[in-house]
Amino acid sequence: MSGCDAVVIGAGHNGLIAAAYLARAGLRVVVVERGETPGGCAATEELWPGYRVDTGAHSLTGIDARVMADLDLAGAGPTPGGAGSKGAGLEIMSSDPCVVAPQPEGGALVLERDPARTAESIRRFSPRDAARWPDFVSAMARASRVLSVLYDTLPPRLAGADRGDLWELLRLGARMGRVGRRDALELMRLIPMTVEELLWEWFESEALKGALAADGVRGICQGPLASGTGYMFLHHMVGAAGVVRRRRQVRGGMGKLGAALQRVAVAAGAEVRLGHEVASIRVEDGRATGVVLAGGDEVAAPRVVSSADPGRTLLGLVDPGELAPEFVRALENIKYRGVVAKVHLALGEPPRLPSGGDAAQAAVLAGAAITVAPSIHYIERAYDDAKYGRPSERPVLDAVLTTALDPSLAPKGHHVLSVAAQYAPFQLADGSWDEARREALGAAVVETLAEHIPRLEGAILHRHVLTPADLADRFALPEGNIHHGEMTLDQVFFGRPVAGWARYRTPIDGLYLCGAGTHPGGGLNGRPGAAAAARVLRDEKRRQD
Amino acid sequence: MSATNAYDAIIVGGGHNGLINAAYLARAGLRTVVLERRHLVGGAAVTEEIFPGFKYSVASYVVSLLRPEIIRDLRLARHGLEILPLESTVTPLPNGDYLGRWADHDQTRRDLYRHSPKDAEAYDDFATLMYRLAWAVKPLLGIVPPDPLSPGLRDLKTLLMLGRHARSLDEQQFHALFKLGTMSAADYLDEWFESDPLKATMSASGIIGTFLGPRSPGTAYVLLHHYMGEIDGVFRAWGFARGGNGMVSESIASSARSHGAEIRTGATVERVLTTNGRATGVVLEDGEELTAKTVVSGVDPKRTFLGLLDPEELPEDLVEAIRRFRIRGSSGKVNLSLSEAPEFSCLPGGGPHLRGAFSISPSMDYLERAYDDAKYGGFSRRPYMDIVIPSMIDPGMAPPGRHVMSIFVQYAAFDLKSGWDDAKREAFGDAVVDTLSEYVPNLKGAILHRQVLTPLDMQEQLGLTEGNIFHGELTPQQLFFFRPSPAWADYRTPVRGFYQCGSGTHPGGGVCGASGRLAALEILRDLRRRPRGRP
Repeated sequence: MSGCDAVVIGAGHNGLIAAAYLARAGLRVVVVERGETPGGCAATEELWPGYRVDTGAHSLTGIDARVMADLDLAGAGPTPGGAGSKGAGLEIMSSDPCVVAPQPEGGALVLERDPARTAESIRRFSPRDAARWPDFVSAMARASRVLSVLYDTLPPRLAGADRGDLWELLRLGARMGRVGRRDALELMRLIPMTVEELLWEWFESEALKGALAADGVRGICQGPLASGTGYMFLHHMVGAAGVVRRRRQVRGGMGKLGAALQRVAVAAGAEVRLGHEVASIRVEDGRATGVVLAGGDEVAAPRVVSSADPGRTLLGLVDPGELAPEFVRALENIKYRGVVAKVHLALGEPPRLPSGGDAAQAAVLAGAAITVAPSIHYIERAYDDAKYGRPSERPVLDAVLTTALDPSLAPKGHHVLSVAAQYAPFQLADGSWDEARREALGAAVVETLAEHIPRLEGAILHRHVLTPADLADRFALPEGNIHHGEMTLDQVFFGRPVAGWARYRTPIDGLYLCGAGTHPGGGLNGRPGAAAAARVLRDEKRRQD
Repeated sequence: MSATNAYDAIIVGGGHNGLINAAYLARAGLRTVVLERRHLVGGAAVTEEIFPGFKYSVASYVVSLLRPEIIRDLRLARHGLEILPLESTVTPLPNGDYLGRWADHDQTRRDLYRHSPKDAEAYDDFATLMYRLAWAVKPLLGIVPPDPLSPGLRDLKTLLMLGRHARSLDEQQFHALFKLGTMSAADYLDEWFESDPLKATMSASGIIGTFLGPRSPGTAYVLLHHYMGEIDGVFRAWGFARGGNGMVSESIASSARSHGAEIRTGATVERVLTTNGRATGVVLEDGEELTAKTVVSGVDPKRTFLGLLDPEELPEDLVEAIRRFRIRGSSGKVNLSLSEAPEFSCLPGGGPHLRGAFSISPSMDYLERAYDDAKYGGFSRRPYMDIVIPSMIDPGMAPPGRHVMSIFVQYAAFDLKSGWDDAKREAFGDAVVDTLSEYVPNLKGAILHRQVLTPLDMQEQLGLTEGNIFHGELTPQQLFFFRPSPAWADYRTPVRGFYQCGSGTHPGGGVCGASGRLAALEILRDLRRRPRGRP
């Protein structure tokens, strides 16, 4: 049996970020990961010889800038000679244009980083919308700036607030006020909106509204007519530097993110044990005292920080007898409801969008995400299927040609197209996911894509499908939910992961949560990991005082 | 202009809020006139004898949220308001069974137990919690929303009061409120119950008047409304006004008149007159002018700001905010004259259940499919319906032995894909009758007359923009200090002397009357009059 100051469960990006911060503060940290590679959902697998595929997340908006700086993630990495800087050598590549949205009646909308150029593309669909685009971009940037203030703050405790809580609330108010009272109020108005309402206030073009609304429903088992999808849209704007639907990826594949974070954590003194599964969290007298591994080994520590989802951590690893029944009930009521499936294609040639013209083709080759969501109603209809427990006949697609930005991911001249498809409900009305259903899903996705990329089927060399059930198994995602819990309004802020416990602590002393199931949620931003570490260190300081 | 056309206050629109506003102003001594476009007052709360001998509560048909202080202050009982209890809700099921919720608690329990013993147990706990939460939320109905942008001393006091009030809740209640404010009715109820008809029937109250399905977030909050109804201090009772819902309006009008208010029907206001940013009166459609230093609009925000005023007179951001104020209608109404009592196959023969409500909401999927039909611009082929048989409660509503049936129907899109016309209206009516006939076999043979109101009809006949029964959707971003727009949620407008008092202001929705009353109190405050009667 070995001992340390803190055990971190899971070497996903949040677990490693938490470990790095804790180790830097001088704690002896052990990270325990069941998989053989670090990174969790930021995974790159060689599915076929020579093709390295981002099987989990294939795009990231951005790791929080403060985390990037604190951990020097962008700094030069180790050189082949072994020497070199302490930086992690993470290289994040941005695509511009960001999105190309082919339309059923021909043509394609292209969203670029430069609002003026995007407006040019929008003009073909609606001159009125084109004129409004720059104002929309700045309005969303302002709203996301206020939202990021909330993201940098511990959700205030409202029920049973003491003087300290009120002080925090006042400080939060002051910070929001500094960003601008009008902007803060506007955010308050936007948050409960449906993304349809949010976009309706600005635009008339279905092509544009569809391409944007796809971001509002991501990972949620709701359609764009559901309250809170406006918030989800804004969530993706946080950390996007004011770029609507920004798309970035990691050079060498998303797996490099995990590798870089592992390097940072280890450099700070943490130990990362891969291939070890935690079987249970040991609790004595209401205090966490370490973890027991699947093989029976124990790692003793006065603090356990789990990046696994809240349900898995507290209902799976902790003896339920340690928790109050109401708390258990609240955990059981967390909605996960994964709806995303992944389809990976190895292609002998780049996809061609003949109907979109040169601009669309150029966008594809520049790495823009191909979004198939031609209208609000298209997305809503795709959701209707899921509402009754069926995968969408015509799914919403977000297809990324990762090899466009990074040709090293496939043999020369070949390509990898990584597709996130929605909606594929984890829970099916009739039966469960099996081989036949997996293949049918893959076929529906390819067929939908092929409507815009006529030569697609001929170019496919390999196809690989991950259903929500597969994602659940592969990445330990609860019910396949990519955010460790649906990011609906009842499950964010004070309500994440459950009301009353939104501040990384749990009812068990010394046991903390640091995964995407905590504030401010998922999307490879690293904030939960950093905030949880800060929480642990503050508690530690208080204990010493 | 004759001197008789000079008033202290002019109220545009004789809906229940306009009438309540007028009654309070007249009571404080203002020379007040109400101008109503139609031949009768009441707006959406009217009783009309469309077919001889048969009285319909044409649109609004039950009383639940009318504020008790209004009933007291305006002595509505003395002016003819009598509320008869509506004691049960029966949900007939396709398999011939039913789910009933009754005034008799034990009977409800037995009924629930038949469907799910677990739900019968949970039902009481649920009711206790909701009852407490309704009490917790209730004070909100009685306050003027503060200005969030530049709060004054009074606004800060309001916020402080709310803060203190919030702190009086325990943790469980607080979290339940948070969930109610954000979740879908379906998800919220899933945490408590398992029986599909029970969940569907309860969530139906969450979707009334909204363009949302029970699985749409934001519908849980309305569950509270059912527990907020309050009649003569009796919590949780729903009722039916003797003489139909028009009697609610009539009694308020009578009270207003008793305080000296004048009520003119057939008077359509064309525009509010202003001089130097101040209201000076109104001009009617026929050119007649009436003057007053105080003009109050009881019509919806779109008509108030974009119709009665010239948008040029308003700040640009307010005009923009009103333009984007969402006000889509989703419901229709069917009123029937019947030659005999309807017989429900799940509960054959007569009985007390006929004096209650019926809810056609057999399952959650049923409601969702009804919503699916409408959300792409259609109407439900098999709609959700809330039915009462007023003549069973008040025999005066129909000739002896005959009956009237009031059917609230959801969903129907206001902007029907190919537009509403007579044929579509009849098809909509047919969908209602056909669906209901599955549960009431003798219905079709008993129908003597049928009145069908589409959302478009509600706009044309009742003046509800887009047929929205709440003067604006009750979504969080359109409530409290957002209703209808921040800084103008305190019943005032940028035009001095011009006020709003309709359902498009806080707290809005339902025949609640709080908007009309709170607006009157604000007006009197500005005029520095005591709200109580003449000295």
